[in-house]
Amino acid sequence: MTKYAMVVDLDRCQGCRACTEACKIENNTTQGAFWMHVFRFEEGKFPDTKVSFLPRPCQHCDNAPCVKVCPTGARFKREDGIVLTDSDRCIGCRYCELACPYGVNYFNWQKPSEAYYSEVIDWEDADIQGITGGAIPPYKNPDLGLRYGDEQRRTAGGGQAKGVVEKCTFCVHRVEDGKLPACVDTCPVQALRFGDVEDPTSPISEFLREKNPWTLLEEAGTEPLVKYVGGKPPASHAKEIERPEVRV
Amino acid sequence: MRKTWTWVTILIGVVLMIIGYFGSAPWGAAGVRNSDPRFSFAPALFVVGVVIAFSAALVYELLPRRRR
Amino acid sequence: MATDVRSKEQLPQGVGRFSAGWKVFIALAFVVFAFGVFAYTRELSNGMVETGMRDVGTMGGATWGIYIAMVVYFIGVSFAGITVAALIRILRLEKLRSIARMAELLTVVSLILGALAIIVDLGQPVRGVINLFRYARPQSPFFGTFSLVIAGYLFASLVYLYLGGRRDAAVMAKYPGRLQWFHRWWAAGYEDTEEERERHHKSSFWMALAIVPLLIIAHSTLGFVFGLQVGRPGWYGTLQAPAFVALAGVSGIGHIVILSAIIRRVLRAEARITEAVFAWLGKILLLFLAVYVYFMSVELFTLLYATPEVEKRLSDALISGEYAWIYWGSVAVLVIPMAVLAWQALNRRWNVGLLVASGVLVNLGAIGKRYLIVVPSQTHGTLLPYEVGSYSPSWVEYGVVAGLFALGALLIGLFIKAFPVLPIDEGEEVMSRA
Repeated sequence: MTKYAMVVDLDRCQGCRACTEACKIENNTTQGAFWMHVFRFEEGKFPDTKVSFLPRPCQHCDNAPCVKVCPTGARFKREDGIVLTDSDRCIGCRYCELACPYGVNYFNWQKPSEAYYSEVIDWEDADIQGITGGAIPPYKNPDLGLRYGDEQRRTAGGGQAKGVVEKCTFCVHRVEDGKLPACVDTCPVQALRFGDVEDPTSPISEFLREKNPWTLLEEAGTEPLVKYVGGKPPASHAKEIERPEVRV
Repeated sequence: MRKTWTWVTILIGVVLMIIGYFGSAPWGAAGVRNSDPRFSFAPALFVVGVVIAFSAALVYELLPRRRR
Repeated sequence: MATDVRSKEQLPQGVGRFSAGWKVFIALAFVVFAFGVFAYTRELSNGMVETGMRDVGTMGGATWGIYIAMVVYFIGVSFAGITVAALIRILRLEKLRSIARMAELLTVVSLILGALAIIVDLGQPVRGVINLFRYARPQSPFFGTFSLVIAGYLFASLVYLYLGGRRDAAVMAKYPGRLQWFHRWWAAGYEDTEEERERHHKSSFWMALAIVPLLIIAHSTLGFVFGLQVGRPGWYGTLQAPAFVALAGVSGIGHIVILSAIIRRVLRAEARITEAVFAWLGKILLLFLAVYVYFMSVELFTLLYATPEVEKRLSDALISGEYAWIYWGSVAVLVIPMAVLAWQALNRRWNVGLLVASGVLVNLGAIGKRYLIVVPSQTHGTLLPYEVGSYSPSWVEYGVVAGLFALGALLIGLFIKAFPVLPIDEGEEVMSRA
């Protein structure tokens, strides 16, 4: 049985945010939705400050609080470990967003067609339409919005519908095709790894055996599938710098 | 007769509640099946059961008297 | 026979007679309700971006706002009806009988408002109603709210209200008029024999007994919605469920006090809703308040003595930061009425005006506390080092909430003109010609 996991090597991450951008383009996430987010935070008082980066995708927890609280079962966990959201069943109550200790959920507050920076770009403009062919966003990924998995549900991609919650899917549409998630594929320093941890011979299993992995918010009891190596968990008095300055 | 019908109503209500509740609650199921009811609209059956159980009061008071 | 011919002008308690004051009240309520509907259509067509809510975390917002605070508040107010009904039936507190129907009506109306408040908070409301009946999971704390509170408790309260009104409906049905068909339907052939009365006595006793555990479970699962979330400092805790039940009692009885005083004035029913009734309501309110203030104090002392680092940001914001004015304001409007009520209880002298003021204040406190339960744990309660967030409701949210209150006023206002809200006594049954 396959069980996917992701390993984040904090000794390698240098905060370029290529993963954040790759995720956004691959999954067509709406304005302000950062399925992959990289924290930059500082600890300590000047001149003894330390700045660190921490990529934070969805943790795809084995004991996922979001799966537990979903009133309709739209948020579910597959046997291969991936936690997905059925955008046809979601009723937009946002309970999953509140149950998640990691803050990885994003709700579609607007009609998706109006949620791609339409305050900055006029998609209706004739010149722009000449380039985009009328598609919003212009980089629409044709693999999204299709049904995936044995369960055959529409779980891939952002901006599926107004009023539903979406989050990182470990790029289920890519993984089912034998590819890596977009963030893992793009990282220029291979700080992100992905693979089957049930297979003892897979590269990720060997890597985990050599290192001493830890997980975020271990005390919350969520049993995440995203493991971190190198670095250390953020101290409770750590403060975020460079918060994305975009609301919807 | 009235009392019988009242108890029957309560019983039907409770039975529907039990079926509806355990039909909605896939305890122990693994993977995706842990997020689906055992049969569709099981929660509706639970609610119907609650409604029927409380309708027993209506049965008790409103059932027409037997003709003398 | 002369007494069989009754004209509609003589229907008791102003049923069917629309005074100018009542018409103005209904018109105002309707205007506010219509505005609420308009605000909601904005939300429906443009999406919930029209509200002030935003995602928690990177977006620095609160994703549950005053809608959910109102859900908890309205369901809390619904506590009142069954409490009064239970006190009358189970503890044989006959003195409160005159306000029983009012209390049951308040329960039914506030549950409807609570259900509507949930629906307006959903991103996909139509799908929400269908999918809850199709897929709702008991593993989610929401299941209890949806199935037991909205479906079970609402239905049970409607049945209770209906059965309790049959006798008066039978009296009303003797009057010809526009509403006679309604009263006949409600009466369903009630004949006020010894046997029927005994049956009603038994069924309402057992119903009250059955509804009480339903009520406790319902309010506790509502507390569990918040109390079981490990990931939210300020929410996770064992005290949530009991505190919810206690504050529900406070807001519900507070509302009954206000409603009783209004009905008493409007129907000139000083002889029916006596000072003794208000004395009892005052004592019950005092009891619930004391329990809740106790819970509040325990929580405050715990926070002041030792706060885990992750909760520090939140507790600072509550006690001395952005939310301090709501926090201490709510404490004040709960503690001051408690003192005033205690003083009245000790002196055994109850002043209706002070009681109504207490009722209003404790409800403001309940709204404040519900808001404080919902919002600060989202803006200041992230476990990962996100920056602090902010939330302020938009006009759409205020409009919809105002519309809900207006709908409640409308429903109650319409009911009291279609059916006697006080139990009809013998004096009213034998009406003499004007």
